[in-house]
Amino acid sequence: MSGVIETVNLNLYYGTYQALKGVNVTFAERRVTAVIGPSGCGKSTLLRTLNRMNDHLGAQVTGQVLFRGEDIYMPATNVVALRSRIGMVFQRPNPFPFSVYDNVAMGPRMHSVPASQIPTIVEESLLASDLWHRVKDRLLSPALELSLGQQQQLCIARVIATNPEIILFDEPCSALDPETTLHIEELIRRLSKEYSVIVVTHNMQQAARVSETTVFMLSGQIIEVGSTLKMFTSPSDKRTEDYISGRYG
Amino acid sequence: MPRGFLAQEIAELKAQLVEMGEYVVRSVNLSIQSLRLLDPNVAEDVITMDEIIDHQRIEIEGKCLRLIATQQPVARDLRVIMATFSIATDLERIGDHADDIASIVLRHANEPLLKPLIDIPRMTEVATGMLRDALKSLVEEDVELAKKLCERDAIVDALYNQVFRELLVFMMADPKTIARATYLIMAAQAVERIADLATNVAERSLYITTGVYSELNAD
Repeated sequence: MSGVIETVNLNLYYGTYQALKGVNVTFAERRVTAVIGPSGCGKSTLLRTLNRMNDHLGAQVTGQVLFRGEDIYMPATNVVALRSRIGMVFQRPNPFPFSVYDNVAMGPRMHSVPASQIPTIVEESLLASDLWHRVKDRLLSPALELSLGQQQQLCIARVIATNPEIILFDEPCSALDPETTLHIEELIRRLSKEYSVIVVTHNMQQAARVSETTVFMLSGQIIEVGSTLKMFTSPSDKRTEDYISGRYG
Repeated sequence: MPRGFLAQEIAELKAQLVEMGEYVVRSVNLSIQSLRLLDPNVAEDVITMDEIIDHQRIEIEGKCLRLIATQQPVARDLRVIMATFSIATDLERIGDHADDIASIVLRHANEPLLKPLIDIPRMTEVATGMLRDALKSLVEEDVELAKKLCERDAIVDALYNQVFRELLVFMMADPKTIARATYLIMAAQAVERIADLATNVAERSLYITTGVYSELNAD
């Protein structure tokens, strides 16, 4: 299966500790793929390799991560440009201590988008993250005054403003209440019509609700990849079955 | 809207069930037409329709399974999906009864009917009306419509008893009519079961709305 981004025999080390072991996985275009597995299995580590966020942690990587056929770990890769094409939304909402407007505008400004285009980009990004109607009358107010759920939506808008092709979500709802979580899940589903979405989550039910494809990881390895329906009704691997039915551990 | 996806999926599931119900009603009506005319071609059509009905049931059950596995429905959503799962099975069984009637036609071969069909088509009209209303009560959440179905089930039961007694008299008077009389009793029995299954559909429709399972069957 051809996808938008794939790993080829990917290994990752933090010093002598091997966090990813021979990972081969392809993520489909314009679909939601969930990555699940127990704590410490390497799912967030895998996610961070997809836009080289592990560089900051001093990780050593062998193998390849091919984004549209090009290895992002080649020395010539422009990592800043890469991260505008593959954006990330983190577990805890992390808006900048600026206004709502400036949070969204920051990415396009950094990428030298003409100033005349910025207001439209801000509006469209906030519309896409379902936040526009709540903030359109207070764009200049501090982002930190928004509720936690709205801050997360703002972070999503911030990513969208850089015109990404892939959006990575690292446990995007674990800090949010159930109602906001469902709202963000609906948003993720809608976003996958325009962007390829990869979601790391420890919440299996969330993975089942929101994704079309699920990747199950254990101890740094991919155990099973399949349609979410198949994974949650008749997984092929017993370890997958044990995990999703709560028998793991 | 939170859970908008689930709401849309459930709406599509209901629409699919109604479509299956309409198709089943057509197959039942055709099966009685084939019996009335002793037309093997129409009977073959009914048998073909039964295969499509079987496939429809599998599709609906698969969709219900998918929603339960991936969307964790609770409360009313869960009742709707579980009821839909059961109703699809009931509809498939109704399709099987229509298939049974069509098979009778093929077995009847060239022998004429023992008597013109009057009560069996009348039973069918009531039974298919019950099924349509049971599905309507599901879609429109009409509790009163569902509850009234058992009155019509009693009409079908009474007609069946009448048909049975009449054919019994035929068989006692002339043993050579036993085979043809038995075929008509089997057909009448199939229609009586269709009415019972329509009542099942109404019971499940009531369950969705009230959360309480009540027996509506007359007997």
